[in-house]
Amino acid sequence: MKQLLLRLEPLIWLLFGQGILIGTILLTGWVLVVGLLAPLGLVSDGALAFERAHRLAAHPIGRLVLLAIVALPLWKGAHHLRSLAIDFGGGHRDAAVATLLYAIATVGSLLGLVAVARL
Amino acid sequence: MARVADPHAMAPAKAGPTRTAPPRMPPEFPLQGRYRAYTLFDATGAVYLLLGLLALRLVWALGSGDAAWRSAMESLGNPLYLLFHALAFASVLFVGVRFFRLFPKAQPPKIGPLRPPPQPVIHALLYAAWLAVSALMIAILAGGIFG
Repeated sequence: MKQLLLRLEPLIWLLFGQGILIGTILLTGWVLVVGLLAPLGLVSDGALAFERAHRLAAHPIGRLVLLAIVALPLWKGAHHLRSLAIDFGGGHRDAAVATLLYAIATVGSLLGLVAVARL
Repeated sequence: MARVADPHAMAPAKAGPTRTAPPRMPPEFPLQGRYRAYTLFDATGAVYLLLGLLALRLVWALGSGDAAWRSAMESLGNPLYLLFHALAFASVLFVGVRFFRLFPKAQPPKIGPLRPPPQPVIHALLYAAWLAVSALMIAILAGGIFG
């Protein structure tokens, strides 16, 4: 497993790096509006109503953006948590921790693909 | 007293001829001095992982129809979700500020025949992209454009 992880390292780092860069750029507005302003009633009622949200999300660019918002943070999160686990003395169980975290990111990304495809 | 680090941390693939002392964790690790920001930067991984899973839940609900979407959006009004999103917003800002400061320094001196722009220019471009995309996302999601 350790060898496989080493072989996949360039791909993992690519997704991790984009998770920080593109993930952060996209998540700022997303978290602010969807996570905070809308639940607090600070955006107009129709802004995130089903018909409008679905129309925006089903556009090809909307699907791509949503896939990035789902998948890239998962890879940033998985890789940083792996790094944190190693730093806190978990080097000997790195293969197991890394496999679990990257499995979550992989399954989440694939489900993200399915989720945007069924919009 | 600094504790012993993992003996295989930073180990080369093949043992070299030079013997070195076992690596030790710096005494400031994990939350003192410059290690505080380092550890917190890594810890934002937990927030990002949860944000990705939460976004997946919302997109899935959107594909499942009006009732599922409405229910998912209503659940975001739960105080725990609001608290998490406040923490997530702070985390995203922290990651952006720290990473965009590090990114220009991590550029190679040359990319093929080209030299990357000066570090302040890269830094400014990253902030410009961050602000522009965030403003666009806020305008779209809040119903300001593409109504």
